[in-house]
Order: sequence, then structure tokens, then C-alpha cells
Amino acid sequence: MTDNNVVLSVRDVSITYLVQRGRLKAVSDVSFDLHRGETLALIGESACGKSTLNLGLMRLLPRTAKIEKGQMLYSGRDAKTIDILKLNSGQLRRFRWKECAMVFQAALNSLNPVIRIQDMVYDTARAHGEKDMRRVRARILDLFQMVRLDPERVFKAYPHELSGGMRQRVLIALSVLLDPQVLLLDEPTTALDILTQRVIIDILKDLRRELGLSIIFISHDLAIAAELADTVATMYAGNIVEIGPVEDVFYRPRHAYSYGLLQAVPRLSSEANDLSSIPGKPPDLVAPPTGCKFHERCAFAVEHCKQEIPLLMPMGERAHLAACFESDRVHAASQREVTTQEKSEVQ
Amino acid sequence: MNQQHGQRPLIELRQVQRSFKQGRTVVPVLQEINLDVYPNEVICLVGESGCGKTTSGKIIAGLLSPSAGDVLYEGQKLDRLNGRERAAARRALQIVHQDPFASLNPTHTIEQILSYPLKRHRMVTDNASLRRRIWELLTMVDLTPPGDIVNKYPHQLSGGQRQRVSIARALTVQPRLIVADEAVSMVDVSIRISLLKMMQALRQQLNMAIVFVTHDLALAKYFAWEGRIAVMYLGRIVEIGRTPDIINNPAHPYTRALIAAIPEPDPDVARQKAHMPLRSEDIPRLTEMPPGCAFHPRCPFFIPGLCDVQVPPLAAAPGFGQQVACLPLNQGEGLRVVQ
Repeated sequence: MTDNNVVLSVRDVSITYLVQRGRLKAVSDVSFDLHRGETLALIGESACGKSTLNLGLMRLLPRTAKIEKGQMLYSGRDAKTIDILKLNSGQLRRFRWKECAMVFQAALNSLNPVIRIQDMVYDTARAHGEKDMRRVRARILDLFQMVRLDPERVFKAYPHELSGGMRQRVLIALSVLLDPQVLLLDEPTTALDILTQRVIIDILKDLRRELGLSIIFISHDLAIAAELADTVATMYAGNIVEIGPVEDVFYRPRHAYSYGLLQAVPRLSSEANDLSSIPGKPPDLVAPPTGCKFHERCAFAVEHCKQEIPLLMPMGERAHLAACFESDRVHAASQREVTTQEKSEVQ
Repeated sequence: MNQQHGQRPLIELRQVQRSFKQGRTVVPVLQEINLDVYPNEVICLVGESGCGKTTSGKIIAGLLSPSAGDVLYEGQKLDRLNGRERAAARRALQIVHQDPFASLNPTHTIEQILSYPLKRHRMVTDNASLRRRIWELLTMVDLTPPGDIVNKYPHQLSGGQRQRVSIARALTVQPRLIVADEAVSMVDVSIRISLLKMMQALRQQLNMAIVFVTHDLALAKYFAWEGRIAVMYLGRIVEIGRTPDIINNPAHPYTRALIAAIPEPDPDVARQKAHMPLRSEDIPRLTEMPPGCAFHPRCPFFIPGLCDVQVPPLAAAPGFGQQVACLPLNQGEGLRVVQ
């Protein structure tokens, strides 16, 4: 890695699962860089490979999964670069939580119900080699304050005494206890109420600013990406099909799937109720279709898309990449929409 | 309350209360719900978890009886109907559940799933008409060609397809009202809209009413733009009216907080949106309800001595087309942030 602004660099990673019918290609040739202080949103629908990729980054995949190829280069605070895929179990233990921490999707169930929060905190710290428990206590109380919890009360509480939103905040505080550089969040706001979602979003913004975290979060919810992300990557059938600054992907999408997703989300703020779904369903990843995996559902597909696999190509000047042969037509369609909307607003 | 049709409501809830026992404690889930559902209308029940929207939906569908109060079907009390009338009401009121993975029997084929209600309610006379009707229903919910679907088991279908089967099953008995309880929340984003569009088309084609239960205000806005929204908080309806009124000119502080808090799928809007800070982020427990307005401990416009004393009735408020349960608004005083 030459760019020392990059904290995590993923190159050509493919992950498969062993299933009855063969090998399911959950993640195919995924590459991206996470810069220091950057928040990257991996957006996609169920079974697009986003959770698998995240688990792969932590080396937490189940035994049926295999990382077929690729590199995951992590650049530590000492400016040494390590390949996460080459770590042994002792090194992994030091890597997890201290360098890179994760908040899981079923967050509301990830606290041990029979021990107090304080014991969970101490256990975690001890397991990762912390000895000074007084320091740990001071640290977590600070963090609880930062995530807007009543520190003393929560510290002594059992999980069942806390609401879902509070438990989620406890987990977020706990995840940064050992001062990691990178935080992975799996659907951080799913299954939470709207007002609670808002609190979590605001807290993540605070934490990012105060702790200088680099964040990867995965979600099916475009709205969360618009709120939190600097960079958005859309995933479809195991590939990153588009990646770029949040404004570029939202306002100037270059891949037919990103464009389709944006067309499918109801909004509170605009009158434009002209929404449409993407027809069809995601492909079978044991035997994926030839060419672009999206071509069967794509309104822009031409003959070429059925034959050849599109690669991520630069679009415009900024770091905006899309893997779509018809990206110009997608772009034109999305811009046409903006202008008609603006016109109707003027009228 | 709502004279949009000048017709008699299909379902009326009158002072409906519902509580559940949890061990020795009684949890009041619904209180003093008054709601009319008119033929062919769309009404969305919106609120966060624990607000009573699903319980209300189940009471409307006749799956739960109220602890107190009355449910009227075409002007007659639901629990006083005779056998034949009751069967007719049962057929008329159907529900589509949230989770299409749990609501279809995994050991039965789609054909079997659809044939039971058709046979049970004698909607068909012989096997040929049964088969014809099943194909017709599957075509109505866009599961085409039906021949590919009838012999499949639920696990062979995607979430969206299963939800279509659930809708087809509700349609077997030619209902006049369907309660759709978070019917698309477990379906992938990219195909939600097609399900909603299909439900709207069926509603018009078959002259049904739809009660759409959701936590997602943006979805409610899309689905019920021509209809009404009822916003619920801790067991009560706090605001009800035509959708454009509620979305463009929300009255109740809770509705305003919801609208301000909703994440927008638009980076510029998300950045510029003004949020409404609440006095507290904790939702009171249903077993320890605050006196007066249930929202007052969190409400930034709280007036001591008024809001924490009297339970606000759902009533008109000057300047608003909808009905709202907020005393300062009802009394025309307007809202001022308390320090």
C-alpha cells in the first residue's frame, strides 16, 4: 500500500459457500479502499454478499465458507501493513476489537442476558489483554456518556432492563472500548424505531468525529447511507457494481441497479411519487448468469451485456466507478428525471 | 368524522380498549380507539413498536375481540351477529401477515394453500372450477404462469412471491377489507413498490378497503396518498386525517418529531433537514403510563398543568384539516418550545 491515507485495502476478494449443489459464489472479485476517517456504506439487498464480505474482513466466516482469493491489507497505527487473510489465531485475537471492531446485526440479542453490562465490559477488556480495570471503567463511562446513556445506571444494569435502542448504544460503546481504528456495523438501525434510529445516526456521527473512526456499515436502507456515508458502494449478486462519493451515486448513478434501487424508495420530502420496482429476482449464485449478473432484470441491457462481464470503470473525474456497459444511458435517464422534477418544481 | 363517501362505514371501532395479561400485570395496549373504515378506502395505521397498530389491525380483521368497547360491521355489533352473518363478516374481513415465511404452511403446496378457503367457504362447486379459480387468483397477483407455481411449496418461492400467495389467499373469499400488517417490510426494497402497486390495483378492481399497518411514514405516504393516515402513540390515535394534510402540515408534536427524524434517501435533504430534539428519548412503559397526554414527558411543547393532567381527546384544531389529540392545539394556543 503506497497511500498511507488508506486504512483498509481490499483487493479481488472472492468468497464461496459450500452448499449441496456446489459452490455458492457469495462475494466475487470485490475491491475497495477505506480511507482514514471515511464512512463507507455497502448497500444491497438480501443475499447480495454484503454480510459475507463484512464477516470476511473480521475472519468470522462459518466453516462452510472459503475465501478463495484476494488480499485484505490493513494498515496499523505503527504504519505496518498486514494481510488480514494471513493472520494466525493469536494475531487475529490482537487484531479483532483493538484494530477492527464489529457491531452485529442481531445487536439486540448480542448481549449476554445473565451478566451485568459491567461484567461484559470487564470480560471483553480482559480477554483482549487489558489489566487496568479502573482505566477500563473510566473509559466505558466516558463512552456511555458519548452515546447518551446514563453511565452509572447502564453500567450496573442487566440487558433486559434496557430498551432495544439502549442496548444498541451499549454495543456501539462497547465496540469502541479498545479504541479500534475501523468499525464495522451490520445493519446498525434495522429493527429500531424511527426516533431511536435518529439517535443512533446522530451518535455514530459524533463518534466518528470524536474518535476519528473509519467506518464500514452495511445496510439495505438507502436513507441511512444518505445520512451517514461519505462513500457508497452498491452490491449486487456478490459484486460491487458501483462505488463513489455519496452525491455521485445518489444524484448521478451510473449503474442500472443503483438507479433502479433509487427509483424504488418512497421519499417523504418530494412529491414525485413515480416509483417503480426492479422486475424479476436476484440470480442463482451457484450457477450465475453469463455476462453482467444484472442483465436479466435490467431495462438498459443490450446483447453485449449477456456475453461479457463488465468491470468497474472510472466515471467522470472523482473516484466514481461503475461496472455497467450502458452507464451513459443510465446516467442520461437519471439526469432526465432530475430536470423534469426541477421543472415541475418551478411550475 | 369522515364524510368522504357519504356512505356507511364498513367497520367502526367505538371506544375500543384492549389489554393483555402478562403474568399478574395487565398491560393496556389500546385505549379509547374510535375509527371508521369506509368501503374502498385506504387507511394507514402508522406508529412505532408498541403503539398498538397491529392490535388495532387484528381487531379490525375480527381476529381479536376488544376488552371493552364495540366493533361494528356494517352498523351491527360484530359479537352479536348470528351464525350466517358472522360467517359473512369473517369472509369480508381478511388479513395479510407481516412474515410470509411464517404465514404459509411449509408442508402444503400453493394449490393446497389456496384451495382450503375456497372449499371451506364453498366458493367453488367442483374441481374444475376450483382449479380455474386458483389460476385466476394467481394471475391476479401476477404469479404467472400459474402452472409454474401451483405445485410448488412455499420454500421454493422468494419472499415477494410468498407475500403474493398470502394476498391471493386473502382474496379467495372475496373480502371487502384487507388488513395488511407490515405486508412489505420483509420484502426486498427493489420489489416493494410492485407489491404496493398491485395491492392498489386490486383494491380498485375488487372494490375493497385496505387497512395498511406500517412503521414507515414514507411508505404510508406513498401508499395512502389518496386516503388517510392515523398516527398512533402508546395505544391511542394521536392524529388522523387525509394523507396530504398529515404529511405536509403535521399537527401533533409526535407526528412532527417522526417526520423530522425520518432518514431521507437523499444526501442533501438529509444534511439540511432540521431535527426536533425531544425532552427525553425514553418511551414510557405501557404499564407505567404517564398521566395526561402520554407524549408529554418527551414533548418539547409541554405545558405543565395542562398536558400532564388531562388526556387530550381526538378533536379538530384551528389551522389543521385533520383531527389531533393535543390540548394546546385543540384550544388554538399553538405550540411553543419550553425551556
